[in-house]
Amino acid sequence: MDPKLIKDCVHCGFCLPTCPTYVLWGEEMDSPRGRIHLMKQHTDGTPVTPEMAGHFDACLGCMACVTACPSGVKYDRLIEQTRAEVERVHVRDPQERAVRGLVFSLFPYPRRLRLLRPGIGLAERMAPFLERVHPSLGAMAALAPRVTRRQRLPRRVRARGPRRAVVGMLTGCVQGEFFPQVNAATARVLALEGCEVVIPPGQGCCGALSVHSGHEDQARRFARRTIRTFERAGVTTVVVNAAGCGSSMKEYGELLAGQPEWAARARAIRTVDLAEWLAELGPAATRHPLPLTIAYHDACHLAHAQGIRAQPRALLSAIPGLSVREVPDSAICCGSAGTYNIFQPEAARDLGDRKAKSVASTGAEVLVSANPGCTMQIASAMGRAGGSIRVAHTAEVLDASLRGVPL
Amino acid sequence: MAEEALEKSGVTLREAGPLDAVGDVLPSYVALPESVEEISALLRACAEADLAAVPVGGGTKLDWGAPPERCDVLIDTCCMNQIIEHAAGDLVVRAQAGVTLEALADRLATQGQELVYDGPFRADATVGGLLAAGTAGPRSFRYGTPRDLLIGITVVLADGTIAKSGGKVVKNVAGYDLGKLFTGSFGTLGVIAEATFRLHPLAAERAWVQTRLTPAQVQDAAVRLAAAQAEPTAVELDWPDPSGPVTLAALVEGAAATRRAQTLLDEVTSSMPGWWGEAGEGESLAEVRCMPDRVGGVLAALEGTGLALRGSPVSGRFFLRGDGAGFVPVVAGLREAGARVSVLASPYLMDRWGEVSALPLMRRVKERFDPGRRMSPGRFVGGI
Amino acid sequence: MTPLAEFITALHGVASGEGEVITDPVRLRTYECDGLTYHRATPGVVVLAESATQIAAIVKLCNRYGVPFVARGSGTGLSGGALPRTDGVLIVTSKMRRVLEIDLPNRRAVVEPGVTNLAITEAVREQGYYYAPDPSSQQICSIGGNVAENSGGAHCLKYGFTVNHVEACEIVTPDGDIVVLDRMDPGYDLLGAFVGSEGTLGVATKVTVRLSRTPEAVTTVLAAFASIEQGGQAVSAIIGAGIVPAAIEMMDALSIEAAEAAVACAYPEGAGAVLIVELDGPAEAVERQFAQLTEICAQAFELRVAADPAERAAIWKGRKSAFAAVGRISPAYIVQDGVVPRTSLPSVLASIDRLSAEYGIKVANVFHAGDGNLHPLVLFDDAEPGAGERAETVSGKILDLCIENGGSITGEHGVGVDKSRYMPRMFSDDDLDTMQLVRCAFDPRNLSNPGKVFPTPRLCGEVPGVRKGVHPLVESGKAEQF
Repeated sequence: MDPKLIKDCVHCGFCLPTCPTYVLWGEEMDSPRGRIHLMKQHTDGTPVTPEMAGHFDACLGCMACVTACPSGVKYDRLIEQTRAEVERVHVRDPQERAVRGLVFSLFPYPRRLRLLRPGIGLAERMAPFLERVHPSLGAMAALAPRVTRRQRLPRRVRARGPRRAVVGMLTGCVQGEFFPQVNAATARVLALEGCEVVIPPGQGCCGALSVHSGHEDQARRFARRTIRTFERAGVTTVVVNAAGCGSSMKEYGELLAGQPEWAARARAIRTVDLAEWLAELGPAATRHPLPLTIAYHDACHLAHAQGIRAQPRALLSAIPGLSVREVPDSAICCGSAGTYNIFQPEAARDLGDRKAKSVASTGAEVLVSANPGCTMQIASAMGRAGGSIRVAHTAEVLDASLRGVPL
Repeated sequence: MAEEALEKSGVTLREAGPLDAVGDVLPSYVALPESVEEISALLRACAEADLAAVPVGGGTKLDWGAPPERCDVLIDTCCMNQIIEHAAGDLVVRAQAGVTLEALADRLATQGQELVYDGPFRADATVGGLLAAGTAGPRSFRYGTPRDLLIGITVVLADGTIAKSGGKVVKNVAGYDLGKLFTGSFGTLGVIAEATFRLHPLAAERAWVQTRLTPAQVQDAAVRLAAAQAEPTAVELDWPDPSGPVTLAALVEGAAATRRAQTLLDEVTSSMPGWWGEAGEGESLAEVRCMPDRVGGVLAALEGTGLALRGSPVSGRFFLRGDGAGFVPVVAGLREAGARVSVLASPYLMDRWGEVSALPLMRRVKERFDPGRRMSPGRFVGGI
Repeated sequence: MTPLAEFITALHGVASGEGEVITDPVRLRTYECDGLTYHRATPGVVVLAESATQIAAIVKLCNRYGVPFVARGSGTGLSGGALPRTDGVLIVTSKMRRVLEIDLPNRRAVVEPGVTNLAITEAVREQGYYYAPDPSSQQICSIGGNVAENSGGAHCLKYGFTVNHVEACEIVTPDGDIVVLDRMDPGYDLLGAFVGSEGTLGVATKVTVRLSRTPEAVTTVLAAFASIEQGGQAVSAIIGAGIVPAAIEMMDALSIEAAEAAVACAYPEGAGAVLIVELDGPAEAVERQFAQLTEICAQAFELRVAADPAERAAIWKGRKSAFAAVGRISPAYIVQDGVVPRTSLPSVLASIDRLSAEYGIKVANVFHAGDGNLHPLVLFDDAEPGAGERAETVSGKILDLCIENGGSITGEHGVGVDKSRYMPRMFSDDDLDTMQLVRCAFDPRNLSNPGKVFPTPRLCGEVPGVRKGVHPLVESGKAEQF
């Protein structure tokens, strides 16, 4: 952990109300300010104790504190460095190690992930057993969504009408396996807006899960592979529809800072979020009316990590007949946070319940977000509370409007 | 010995006469100090000879509060009548305790400013008396009571210690706020010698509106007025005869006052109702406090009692007054209905203050400030 | 066993819930300071309290074992008021954050002490009400902390401070009794004395606040001036015209630079000072005042009026983040909180400039111009030898300037531990002794946040007003005179 970055914190506490774990527990050491204090204790010579590691692990990495911080503390960098340090020096108890090992050998690998898919995999049948053995494993099984069928995407989708740009598209691991319809919608929307979409086959994980959990070596490996993939595809702009992937790809330069050649190659490729890209491009296709009331949920890795809040709202609001409702306390994380609902199931569940209540209070028919993890998390929390809500990705809503079909 | 000690203090003295009685207790001497230091010397003399003292300003409320257990010296602040500083640019005034509110208002008006107080005795009462009795006027609804406008105070304790707190800036959180503690303390903690207040610009325009309502209509009308975005400065009721209708009036001040007032009630006038802010006449007088949503209950409890009520249904602060022993059960009835009643003046024997939840703490405060019980002993809650 | 160790053992009897009692040293240390990091002390033990009865039980234990206690809300105070005691317990109220009651007909809300200032407004905003005091840290500072510090904020120029908006408090006294202080009750105004007593008279466990009606119209104006002097003249002219705006805030070039770096507030370029003036009230009154204001600010080279709530928020954002934002332009800084009579502002600012030049220490000025409350930010590089000391000197001299001009050493941040040594410059021994009488009435054993506000401890058994020499505790080396 960089002591210089730690020193930027002036202990004002403005981050506290935006921190999901502080909102839940009201404890200093589970707030960004408190965690930075713990980091300082460590750089001053205190070894990583299990208590300390626990407070770092409890951080969702939602980066709401980065948005809230008036002093510009780079908490995102700090927590990444800290997680790596924890992985280096801290020995976790065996059960925890086993679960972590399983997750990191599973999630970043699409083919292995496929095993988890209901109908094919063992997840559903094993869920009650997993829940008993370890709540984290139960959580993992419970999260596996139902998928209708796999959709194979073409390598290249031609632009409709005059070609305005050529872009690459990241398929992502979780997105690609569990939400293939979102990728299909993304490709169609891009094409309808005049983009030629290049979709290299055999894309792997972008490294987001690893970097957010302190597995920097794994992350760097994935990053290099992703860069190479898009270099070969001959694109300089890559559109990403999953907030977590987008935010880590935007930081490839820093992740690979130790290898200047790779860092330069990383910087040569521009990563953009779908909404960011479409807003920049401006509309070309006709928007057909969609008479719907939707609640837009800010995915942390979009709103906080990438600062993209206005663009998706503007795109959605521009659809005739569509009404966008704001979710109260929208800056607070829903608790999904990548692998968080697997490693910290209780906290994730509490946050999910809070978010579900806020979303329900909007009275919207559809919950829209740019991150599959969030929608999965919130929809299941609403289910627990005895309610239900349809979920959709921003891309799917736009796709429906552009094609003039119901959502 | 007493006289000797008092004379040694160098403060002007005179023999007390029947008009100097505090309740029914006649003091032996009236002292006329001319400075804070003289008050201090006087109180040191009182300490030496164990004399009890009661401070008095304009004497307008000398019959308020229980009669003192004993009173040897009446400290009349009439000679402390200097307005020490009016910093118009800072909207602040510092005055000695004996300055009358009328003199103060005249002086402030020359600069287009005022100390917001339009309660009882707003001409003859003094700065010190206003604070010691803690009275409030109609406009306290928007501006706060004198306690909220006081920003600095100089007091003299029973042992002669001169102490100040606050200062002459509006915003100040250094140290404890002795001003709040002394406001409404009925002279039982010491003598208020000087006070500094924040001021307000005199409103360029004012308008009153009024209407007549049945008692049952008052509460809802008042709640509506309190929330009105025309922002009335005060909402008052006058109910001289509790078998008749209630007059409800509101004051609007500032730009477009008349037009804003019209949105509140029907009858607009530019002149102040004659009863505005006055406590009124009567053998017995009590201050009644309640939450705004209990006003209906208070009015209902008074119906047909022959007593008169006047005050603010939005602040939940009223004066109840009337003649006869019937006052006693009415006070008890109001307390049962959830109102706090402080009997300020009455010839009848009754529980003057009702239940006071923090009384043990108050006793401890009194003990620290006046261990010899020489300052207005027995005048206040719990015989403090 | 030490008294503290015995106390901690006994504590488990009254606070047994999971995570309520913190004794792990690593965790304890995260509570070592509040918003003022200059003073640090690791608490002996921390309790994350859940109820008034629990706090009362803890305080009773404190009395039994002679263990001091300090209450803390969100830990955002800027005077070290919640600095823990190494030999004591830190009672944290951040888990007590329920809004218990909203009573609109009576314009009141009853909340637990850990509820944040802004949460009260958020709970009633849709019904057209708000809670008026608005310290800059309002999204996180707790109402319990506001009560302890008598917090102000930009809008207290027109609406007053916490003490003017608190109707009642349930407190745990330093004896461990639960007592209600209510403005409606007859008797001494103990509520008025309690608010702003910085935790030295007990712990607030339930607060009843007054709610205000959202004004019909709000106009927020940003006026950019070439110099601080011009801005200051405009402030005087506004007050002179009989206008009482909801707020008048001023920032100088250096603090504008910081805010710009932090939140990209896009204040007019090249401004030597910006003035934020907010008018509120009935629409017609606001319109008329705005017309007057436009005339008064004729010298301004740009006058920007917020067209909607978003623009209003944008104007305020720069101001409200100014303190922490200074972290962007300076490695270290001291926030001061002096007050001067508004009319002395120009001369005091000029003197601050001279101090700044004399000591080679930059000072950024952010202030509540309407009420003369200065927040000079004394900037220094803590890596440079001697810079910290020079900054400390400049900071102290600024307070001296405030006192010389008839002002105060603190307008809203409180005395805490940071300014207690300046108290004798503002108050005489008699003044301080008299204040101590209140302390002794509430807390004869000196257990409630000891060491704060007052420069020297005084035993409550002593006769007040007699002592003039060196305190016996100081003489015997048991206490330190600052």
